[in-house]
Amino acid sequence: MKKIVIALAILLLFTAPWIVSSPFFVHLMIMVLMWAVLGASWNILGGFTGQVSFGHATFLGAGAYTTMILYLKLGVAPWYGIPIGGLVAALIALPIGFICFRLRGPYFALSTLAVAEIIRLVALNWESLTNGPVGLLITTLPDVTFWGKSIDWESKIPFYYIIAVIALAAIVATDIMSRTRLGAYSLAIREDIDSAEAIGINTVQTRVAALSLSAFFAGVAGGFYAMYLRYIDPDAVFSIALSVEMVFIAVVGGLTTVAGPLVGAIVLVTFGETFRQILLVGHLILYGLAMMLAIRYMPEGIWGKLRLWLGVQH
Amino acid sequence: METFVQSIVSGILTGSLYAMIGVGLTVIFGVMRIINMAHGDMVMFGMYGAFLSIAFLKIDPFLSIVIWIPLAFFVGVFIYRFLLKNIVPAGELNTLLYTAGLSLFIANFVLLVATGDYRTIKLKYAIMPLRPFGIAVPIPLAIAFGMAILITIALYWFLVRTDTGRAIRATSQEPEAAALMGVNVDRMAVITFALGTALACAAGVLLAPSLYLYPTVGEILVAKCFVIVVLGGLGSVPGAIAGGLLLGVVESLGAVYVSVPYKDAIGFVIFLLVLLFRPSGLFGVGKS
Repeated sequence: MKKIVIALAILLLFTAPWIVSSPFFVHLMIMVLMWAVLGASWNILGGFTGQVSFGHATFLGAGAYTTMILYLKLGVAPWYGIPIGGLVAALIALPIGFICFRLRGPYFALSTLAVAEIIRLVALNWESLTNGPVGLLITTLPDVTFWGKSIDWESKIPFYYIIAVIALAAIVATDIMSRTRLGAYSLAIREDIDSAEAIGINTVQTRVAALSLSAFFAGVAGGFYAMYLRYIDPDAVFSIALSVEMVFIAVVGGLTTVAGPLVGAIVLVTFGETFRQILLVGHLILYGLAMMLAIRYMPEGIWGKLRLWLGVQH
Repeated sequence: METFVQSIVSGILTGSLYAMIGVGLTVIFGVMRIINMAHGDMVMFGMYGAFLSIAFLKIDPFLSIVIWIPLAFFVGVFIYRFLLKNIVPAGELNTLLYTAGLSLFIANFVLLVATGDYRTIKLKYAIMPLRPFGIAVPIPLAIAFGMAILITIALYWFLVRTDTGRAIRATSQEPEAAALMGVNVDRMAVITFALGTALACAAGVLLAPSLYLYPTVGEILVAKCFVIVVLGGLGSVPGAIAGGLLLGVVESLGAVYVSVPYKDAIGFVIFLLVLLFRPSGLFGVGKS
């Protein structure tokens, strides 16, 4: 039964743009999936190890800038740039982890916020590399033929399939992590870091590993963001607001669950984008409201609650 | 030498307002052990309050503070009673996330009502700066500095000399012992939260003529505020005052001697160093 549901969900994921093909809907689905990846990324650290980061935009920005700079300066095509962007984000996460994980709880959260602001300011001022506040712009994407057909980058459909594959990878990675030793160690740390330490878990190493994995997916999503919107600037990809949005999607969807971030993204991004279509600004008011309601009435998140009713584990 | 003195002076002027915001956050942390992410939005409220006073009520922003402080106090009571009170027992991290949600809600609400336009407040008497001893002192900042000192002294007197102030400090030091001594801890929490909110709002009113106003200004202010209270030691009022002045001076010296764009980064670097090496604050008085 469970396998059938998953197979149907994957089938739906890959046929959706053929069922409803209006450009707004495809754009909406792309945004939902991109935020699902970002939520899943945050969930790997914030959900499983319980370390609240307010600086995940750092990794998104690192991925976005890596992909952009590789393409514009060295001519590396974005589909190579995106995974490389993820790797660069994962590498950047190592020193950040070793510094910030000396702190606990809210202090860790504040330190990630400070690191993210420092990196945003560096990106804003390192003009020879990032072009500063002007930002970077891609005008055309390289020609690719896929099964004998040239891909039309003006259509949104190819982007949909790229982000669908990335989202699937992020969800599968979360599922695998939750079954492995890293997942078990992480949960032990989330429950009680001192006891975890006492039974011999290397808590710094585990948290850094989780942060790195988490940063990889944020970086990949960042690379995709750069390629899809074709324009980035430091305030767009390194802002505090982006970090906070990732937190909200993961928490509202359901922390420490595999499907939670996807559910959170479906709910918040759909409402948010629709709100934006009507009123243009201020759609994050819904995110704020959802967050307050979730913490107050449903701290386990939407999927966390639903899965209990449905009787599924993840 | 003149540039040096000039940057120290402007640093202290701005720093006095940073200190006021920081004191608000630190007293709330002291009593409730929560980090209020929405604190910057209370400053933003004050800034828009000052703007409303001059644009619609035709009242000088500095005088309008007598309206906004009591109003902010009641807003604080309301937020604590109806929004925060049930969340605080759920732990530090949940409260952190909850106030982050509250912050996003408030900022975007103002964005919807007031639009994202940058606004400024122009005062007729503040076109030319004062020039005592050849040092330029902008008039709005000078008035704000004077009022910040008065408000901080009043707060200090309240905390040190009055019974309620003593009860607040007792709760901050040891909530359980304070409760056993007959202090109504819950009541102290309401008063402290409202007081912190009123301070943030007052600082916003005073800052408004010297800064641009926009709905998400609280985001950057709250980040600076964390720097200040961690520098001074979380929970310590004198620490927050020193931290605020220090950040003001460091930013202004950094803008002159390091680089203008990186002046904001200097504060965050110091913040990280203090968190890592002296988590109880530079003066070793905070509670970590």
